[in-house]
Amino acid sequence: MKRARWLSALGLIASIAVSDIALARIKLITLPARERVEIKLESPAGTLVEEERLVPLVRGSNQIDFSWANSQIDPGSLVFQIEAENGAAQVLSVSYPPNENALVWHVSASEAGPARVRISYLLAQLKQTFNYRATADRDERLLDFSQYVRLRNDAPETFGDSGIWLGRDQRIERPIEGQQTREVLVRRWPRIPVEKTYTADLARFGWDDTKKQTLKIAMHYVLRNDRQSGLGERALPYGKARIYQDDGRGGNAFLGEDWGQRTSTGDKMALYLGQSRDVVVKRTVLSNRRERIEGNLHNQHIVLRYRIENFKDEAVALKLREDLRSLASRFGVRAANGAVWELGPETSFPGRPDPELTDAGSVVMTAPLASAPDGGDAAVNFDLHIVFKNNW
Amino acid sequence: MINWTRLIGAALLGLAGLAAHASNNIDLSTAPERAAVQLTIYNSEDLTLVRERRVMSFTRGDNQLQFSWANTLIDPTSVEIRFPRQGSQVSLVDTTFSHQRKDVLVWNINSEIAGEVETEISYFTSGLTWSADYTLIANQAETAADLDGFIRVHNNSGERYEDAQVRVVVGQINLVEKIAALARVPVKQVPKLEERQVGRLRKEALRGSIMSMMSNVDANEAPAAPKEVIKEGLSEYFIYTVEGTETIPNGWSKRLRSFDANNVPLKLHYRLRPREYGKDLVRLYSLANDEPSGLGTTPLPNGKLMVFRRDSRDGLDVVARKSIKYVPVGDKLDVNLGPDPDVVLEQAVLAVKHEDLWLKLSRANTFKRVGDGTLVVDRNARIAGWNERLTVRHRIKNFTSKPIRVEMRFARGGDITVVSELAASQHDFRTMQVEADVAAGGVEDLLYEFIVRKGRNKKQERLEIVRGRVAPPVY
Repeated sequence: MKRARWLSALGLIASIAVSDIALARIKLITLPARERVEIKLESPAGTLVEEERLVPLVRGSNQIDFSWANSQIDPGSLVFQIEAENGAAQVLSVSYPPNENALVWHVSASEAGPARVRISYLLAQLKQTFNYRATADRDERLLDFSQYVRLRNDAPETFGDSGIWLGRDQRIERPIEGQQTREVLVRRWPRIPVEKTYTADLARFGWDDTKKQTLKIAMHYVLRNDRQSGLGERALPYGKARIYQDDGRGGNAFLGEDWGQRTSTGDKMALYLGQSRDVVVKRTVLSNRRERIEGNLHNQHIVLRYRIENFKDEAVALKLREDLRSLASRFGVRAANGAVWELGPETSFPGRPDPELTDAGSVVMTAPLASAPDGGDAAVNFDLHIVFKNNW
Repeated sequence: MINWTRLIGAALLGLAGLAAHASNNIDLSTAPERAAVQLTIYNSEDLTLVRERRVMSFTRGDNQLQFSWANTLIDPTSVEIRFPRQGSQVSLVDTTFSHQRKDVLVWNINSEIAGEVETEISYFTSGLTWSADYTLIANQAETAADLDGFIRVHNNSGERYEDAQVRVVVGQINLVEKIAALARVPVKQVPKLEERQVGRLRKEALRGSIMSMMSNVDANEAPAAPKEVIKEGLSEYFIYTVEGTETIPNGWSKRLRSFDANNVPLKLHYRLRPREYGKDLVRLYSLANDEPSGLGTTPLPNGKLMVFRRDSRDGLDVVARKSIKYVPVGDKLDVNLGPDPDVVLEQAVLAVKHEDLWLKLSRANTFKRVGDGTLVVDRNARIAGWNERLTVRHRIKNFTSKPIRVEMRFARGGDITVVSELAASQHDFRTMQVEADVAAGGVEDLLYEFIVRKGRNKKQERLEIVRGRVAPPVY
């Protein structure tokens, strides 16, 4: 009988002539080196490590010990595949000793010689996180976008020249030392198109000044993860994005940071830039009146006025979202499954509600804002007339 | 150190007739070798039937056998002795339990034979358990998979079992008391246990027919090939017998392959079933435990399942770790892999309308439909019944590179009519089922109208489906 075991933090040992695994944890060993390591970090189920080693086998029965002192391997995840270079080899059984991070494969070989074994396991101490660096040009229409991965190895094990899979089809080769974090630039996408958006949404972003009834105006960079934008090869993982802008003097100004959500190919990533100070929106309830129909049945008319000032020297399209459930609740209108509503004739926005973003619970309008006139009054008014129908 | 149950032939060397054997401090005893041992392990309860055979030498007349089990988890109510070959000539007279010594009993045996007698001792113990686990490796296209099943025996009984035949029982048995609890019963209280209680325990635990399977204990040498796990169906159970014998030291576990099936057809699909899988659309692998799939020889016991997918370099991608429930032969195994971030379901109520409004007038039991053209002056009329017509959109975005099939179930209480152009079907009186195909990289909008009758308009609890066109609202 031949016996083998992996040593080091993740060890393999070969030992001979040991017949009783229960009593004899004394081994004569060989230490087969890793031939190849692949580390797959992308699955939410955990980090999968696949390693290949050449293990010398004797003809007949062999034992291969695998131990993982101080490493958090899930023993239930271990998959052992063996392919003998001469003859055939197969696993007979697996034994798990008490109070040890170890197991013993009992392997039968038809011929003596090396066998290639591939061991796969989930390792809890090896993680990846992503982060992004985005630098906008002066016009905020193009973005230099870079993706970095941070590999954190809390296990004591060193993985030499490992193939590291960041995604299903995204592989880099780097060694990872034990107890080490390494940050690697994965990809740089220069000059991708970006859209800067301005949004007023009381329910989501709240008041800027409650007494003055001015709304917070959120700014976002929106980029599309598609081929037209120069992206779209694969999903963009969740990660922190630091956002800069070209300052025109050869440097960058830091604009802020946000968590970029996982973005599938074809989808959009929106990065929050903070609050605009150059677009000011004052929201007032201009009127609230009841129109009786029959009995206690009535329609409720609510007119909201948005007084908007654009102090920027360029035109802006402002999205205004009203949460109709909140509005209905504010005026005692029932809207459990969504509001029964329609736009009233006093609405003064130039267009209709955005059909992609409007539903029974919210209405989204667009307010086109001209650039600020030199020294003139920049304020414009837009009214939104909501008729909550058939209330009682 | 926990000793193997000791069997001592205290009467074999002329000590027959020692009535107060337990109080004697001076005994002369022999410890006969164990010829074979068989373990039958139940995973539904912490229960193992141990059956061992020894050849003993008896004198003609009365003989005493002492059996002790210090520091083990043996149920003292379950210990039995039989004489399978010479039962007509050797008989058990009685069993005595000493109040002075723990974990000991003495059998008084009458033998018409002077010489070798084969004895069979059986008892229940706890601390030996088994579990099933599986490894499923899907091919790259996720159309077929290799499925390996394993059984793993855990020995925490305090005893080392050497060269034991191992059998595990798949199925649910009924026990009235836990074996581990009975193992803690002081031996002097054993005779006080109600006969009915003990008898029922034994009967329920083993159900007779399984007892009849416990024979032909072998101690063969382990072969160099992987051991076969032989599966036999019996009543409501399956018994898996590991070929040959195994040595399982105390504290160790041992894992053996139970079966392997290659190229099992696999169906990848998506489901929304809030009652079963929660609020998210989930991805599933489904396969059938039947012969056409290369399975179907046994049920699949409860166990852990590791799910992998082969990558383009013959390596593995980890997909999920799941627990599966018992899958009978012929049934399907649905493996919920969880939500897929590349397949998104967005649910929106696009519009709500009120229709068929009824006013209850001040006069008793008088109602008027709103907008029916009649003039009634009644300022105290109140709305008493109405319909809500909800236009609902389910938008499925498939960001993957494969076309997908999605099956969705929606439950809604009330008196409801659903209007849809889709081939919707009724799952039960309040649940609708819809299936849709979504192209790779595509978006599919599923539109419905739910007409929900409220107040006096509600007549019953039902969900009816009507085929009809639904137009998206224009704002």
